Amino acid sequence: MKKLILLLLLFFNALTYAQMTAEDVKTFTLKNGMKFLVVEDFSIPNANMYLFYKVGSRNEYQGITGLSHFFEHMMFNGAKKYGPKIFDQVMEFNGGANNAYTTQDLTVYSNWFPISSTEVIFDLEADRISSLSIDPKMVESERGVVLSERRTGLENSPWRNIIQAVQAAAFIEHPYHWPVIGYEDDMKNWTQEDLERYFKTYYAPNNCVVVISGAIKLEKVKELAIKYLEPISIQPAPPIVYNKEPEQNGERRVSVQKDVANPYLVIGYHVPEAQNEDYYALSILSSILSSGKSSRLYASLVDEKQLATAIYTDYSESFDPNLFYFYISANNDVNETDLENAIYQELNKIKNQGITEKELQKIKNQKLIEFYNQIETINGKSNNIGTYELFFGDYKKMFQAPENFDKVTVEDVKRVANKYFTKSNRTVGVLKTNVEE
Amino acid sequence: MKEMKKLLVLICFTVLTYSGMSAQSYKLPEFTKFKLDNGLTIYLMEQHDVPLISISAILPAGAIYDGDKSGLARLTALSLKHGTKNFTKSKIDETLDFIGAGVNVSASKEYATLSSKFATKDKNSVMTIVKELLREPIFDESEFDKEKSRALVELETAKESPKSVIGDYFDKLLFGDHVYSNSISGTKESLESITINDIKNFYNTNFTPNNAAISIAGDFNSDEMKEIITSLFSDWKKGTSILNNLASQPIIKLLSGQVLLVNKDDANETTFYIGAPGVSRNNKDIVAIQVVNTLFGGRFTSMLNEELRINSGLTYGAGSRFRYYKNGGAFYINTFTANETTEQAIDLALEVTNRLHTKGIDEKSLSSAKNYIKGQFPPRYETVNQLSDFLIEMFWYDFDENYINDFEKNVDGLTLEKAKKIINTYFPKDNYQIVLIGKASEIEKIAVKYGTVKQVDIKD
Repeated sequence: MKKLILLLLLFFNALTYAQMTAEDVKTFTLKNGMKFLVVEDFSIPNANMYLFYKVGSRNEYQGITGLSHFFEHMMFNGAKKYGPKIFDQVMEFNGGANNAYTTQDLTVYSNWFPISSTEVIFDLEADRISSLSIDPKMVESERGVVLSERRTGLENSPWRNIIQAVQAAAFIEHPYHWPVIGYEDDMKNWTQEDLERYFKTYYAPNNCVVVISGAIKLEKVKELAIKYLEPISIQPAPPIVYNKEPEQNGERRVSVQKDVANPYLVIGYHVPEAQNEDYYALSILSSILSSGKSSRLYASLVDEKQLATAIYTDYSESFDPNLFYFYISANNDVNETDLENAIYQELNKIKNQGITEKELQKIKNQKLIEFYNQIETINGKSNNIGTYELFFGDYKKMFQAPENFDKVTVEDVKRVANKYFTKSNRTVGVLKTNVEE
Repeated sequence: MKEMKKLLVLICFTVLTYSGMSAQSYKLPEFTKFKLDNGLTIYLMEQHDVPLISISAILPAGAIYDGDKSGLARLTALSLKHGTKNFTKSKIDETLDFIGAGVNVSASKEYATLSSKFATKDKNSVMTIVKELLREPIFDESEFDKEKSRALVELETAKESPKSVIGDYFDKLLFGDHVYSNSISGTKESLESITINDIKNFYNTNFTPNNAAISIAGDFNSDEMKEIITSLFSDWKKGTSILNNLASQPIIKLLSGQVLLVNKDDANETTFYIGAPGVSRNNKDIVAIQVVNTLFGGRFTSMLNEELRINSGLTYGAGSRFRYYKNGGAFYINTFTANETTEQAIDLALEVTNRLHTKGIDEKSLSSAKNYIKGQFPPRYETVNQLSDFLIEMFWYDFDENYINDFEKNVDGLTLEKAKKIINTYFPKDNYQIVLIGKASEIEKIAVKYGTVKQVDIKD
């Protein structure tokens, strides 16, 4: 659809693409500390705005667990100029749609809109960031909504239950201990004061990074940002999260009862945060284990031995050291202990013999395709640029990622497998029907 | 935000959109279409933004052809990847994984699709595999047994999530003996009865070029691609058996309300659909129906979500959608709520539906729905896989690029008067077909309010 770019391309070598580079991301910071990252992309007459607030369940404590997520909901429930229900009505009347999500580390708001509505979007955001009004009546009905969200998550996925139990066991002191959705009793007991304090502390322009991609010029973004968002006052920096999870010095095991056809297994190993030097090797290790049908665990456990019906691993970006997860669903009539041991067998192979050069090259190739997929849409661009800016401290790291993955050697992968996949560093969770045996 | 583009998600336009205030209206990029001598239709669309290519293939091999072997179409599609004339299963998996290429084969209600996305530089190797998957699968028996046993386990696992199974229950209730009631995933008994010979027969009958299409969108040169595709597929033999359009038989109109209560003993909430017959994809009013559904149940501020979520906090989300097929379709409201608020939520959903008929809609909400549906439209056709999927949809449902090119005009042309007609014609006001999945001991007394109740257990 990028017709203009296509015409230009005809003059160049067929191998040089209109590929995005770090220079395509423009940046500026308002006087109140709000940072903007902008990508001009005229492929479709649309644009988006992603607002990344540095607040998540990591910033909570017992008594207010789930508040970050609840706040994400309250941001749609009325401010000074646009009262309750009006934010969404105005946005949708102007052809825009939105959503938001909360993680352990972040709360992210996204707006997707036709370019003609850009100014309205700035006005809507400015209104809620500067003068959110927390109406007690809205708090009560929204409480019902998040309780339903929690309930429906548990109702439809056994994974939720077991992941929560593993997190609670793996983290004893760090706030990754509780689920993002919160404890049911905390959800029922948040107070108006909790909400007001949370808003003032964390919804400050200096605690937010804004990413915009789409059919809009940098100059126009700047003009609107200065007009609508710069007048919002800067706030003192939020308190830092000082809790560090002590080193785990012994395997932890949890079990959860739920009526299920076959057991579900979740294993978590403590691993470092995104900015750690081992990030790229661990990320490659995760793909070696479970990306594609030729991956180690799928080929062995699902295909060859038929011990599992599905297996995934996950190593995601985070601010603080988090877990490297294994999610496995057992096949019929499989003893989950056999399944668990089969996983360790595969891990030991990597710890002892390492991986092959060909396997490593496979993952590097996959990472490159992943990168192309991410920059194929304006939403992929914004979400990824924001992710790198927040978790790696610099959006430029996104463009260096292919190079950083390329530097990883087979020895690196073997080294991190040995360093982190130790018995005393893991927490094992089993969810099954009969937990009494 | 992982990309999760299901091939041809049966066009649930509930999240469709775009803007009337925008001066540029969105047009489908140029493409070429031609037919090989064996009847296979080919679409080519060049897109050079990123060095990627997407292929989509569509064949009349969906669950409507399952006969008494429910789940056969799906198992056949999955079995295509178990090895071909020149590639073993592991060779296929290794080759594709090594270059980061995805190839998915799946069956839906009416058709089977193959979709693949890969780097431009790998086009020769991937397309050779794609050709063999479609034309020369060998159907290895031991791999088939593994696939079948996985499918049986998945069937049990799905029952742990009401949202994964409610659609099948609903289709049975709504479509009765019509082939649109066929379950894609099958039942325990039917899966157990399927043999490798059933798979081979199904393949031979349904995977033929004459009723199929392949579309390719992405970074290639059309002349070169035309040569490649012609050399790979022109000697694919036409099918000899005649495929009856099983879906063309009439869908029996239901003259009374029915409730299917699916007991789930450990349920803490009730998941429900309230539905009625819908329309086929080629309905002349399709765009107007989408606009009206947007404001009834297709977006955050829709009438349903406003009442059930925003005003009352009964649920995390409520909506409605039209599911389209070639010869008919379904309409349903879907939501979920705590056991104790089940009655309140159902009554409210019915009240909102009733209000759509009695009070209708006003000019402002109609404008809002139009702006929304137009504003969110272009991002639906942004990637090469979205585009190749759209091309085979055009083929399957027999519509053309004017669906996109005239979309804005057609949305704008919807008057309040016409919208009233649309509501009256296509949105149900009685004889609701309702599926409730929840704890029967707590909700069975409520169920009888809404029609003749039939009760089953989710574990059956």
